[in-house]
Amino acid sequence: MDREGEFIQVIKENEGVIFKITTIYTDNREDQQDLYQDIVYQLWKSFESFRGEAKFSTWMYRIALNTALTHIKRNKRKGHSVAIEEVVLQQTELYDTAFEQRIKILYKHIHQLNVLEKGLMLLLLEGKSYSEISEITGLTPSNVGTRLSRIKLKLRSKIEKK
Amino acid sequence: MEIEELQATWTAMSQELDKQKRLTDKIILEMTQQKYKSKFHGITLYETMGSVICFATALFLVFNFYKLDTWYLMLCGIITLAFLVMLPILTLSTLGKLKNLEISEYNYKETLQKYTKVKNRLLLVQQFGVYASFLLLFTTLPVASKVLSDKDFFLMEKDVWLYVFIGVVVVFLVFFARWGYGCYKNITDSAEDILKEME
Repeated sequence: MDREGEFIQVIKENEGVIFKITTIYTDNREDQQDLYQDIVYQLWKSFESFRGEAKFSTWMYRIALNTALTHIKRNKRKGHSVAIEEVVLQQTELYDTAFEQRIKILYKHIHQLNVLEKGLMLLLLEGKSYSEISEITGLTPSNVGTRLSRIKLKLRSKIEKK
Repeated sequence: MEIEELQATWTAMSQELDKQKRLTDKIILEMTQQKYKSKFHGITLYETMGSVICFATALFLVFNFYKLDTWYLMLCGIITLAFLVMLPILTLSTLGKLKNLEISEYNYKETLQKYTKVKNRLLLVQQFGVYASFLLLFTTLPVASKVLSDKDFFLMEKDVWLYVFIGVVVVFLVFFARWGYGCYKNITDSAEDILKEME
């Protein structure tokens, strides 16, 4: 398979992951599509230089999260936004109402976190180990642990307030 | 919903997403070639438009420079020309660095550090531009007056409307400069807050 074919294959395998990243880092569909394209473009740009020294998923999360980080800062001056429901709707149209509701609540909680916390929470939910999260974010593994405990406490207190 | 429930919902959602295949080969290839129109690429639109206006004005001034026949008008002309060329180059080159930030080589923390550094440079250029625009107003008036209507601004009789015009432009400049500077400042501040938090 040529390089282009390989790339198409990995994007297809990971389209759900990219979708989740774009959903937690944007609050309207237009921004989400922009970010999605930007992530795919950045991954393609770096795909040639990926030599398999790092785990593929680590490499992919790193680029996707870095793109989201700089994308958000660039787009911060824009004022208009649509509720998160509209973004989630696209994904949940095939689900039953209860599941759709749970997903909306899940994203609502994540959206209350700051940029760094969102990234850490996403990686934790994706089942990444502390050392892998550390490799992606540049934080030490113990720092990752401390921060995740704080995030969980923060989320718990928000959930309890509801 | 408890944390454990969040995790369970995330996992269930991930499984569902894995089943939904929306991307085709064609869409992916188009994304790699940036064929889609993205708002992101329009970010520098204002800056590019401003630069074109600046360069066109500078070119017009170069061709009419011979009309500036006194040393003080020439000095005003040179200062105006310098700003018209320098400011857009500085702004566009800093924006170019920001857009071409190599994000694949660094982790999240390093990317944020590098991004904040370039952003700060952009803020500095922006600040410089704010102060320069005030000076530019007072060098442009004599130059424009001479080039467009062959009148020496410093010697001519000034009517009250000219002072009103200068006043209006100054007020507009103050508000515009504050708004523009504020936009960049907010962006830089929030990036620095995250950086501090990571340290």
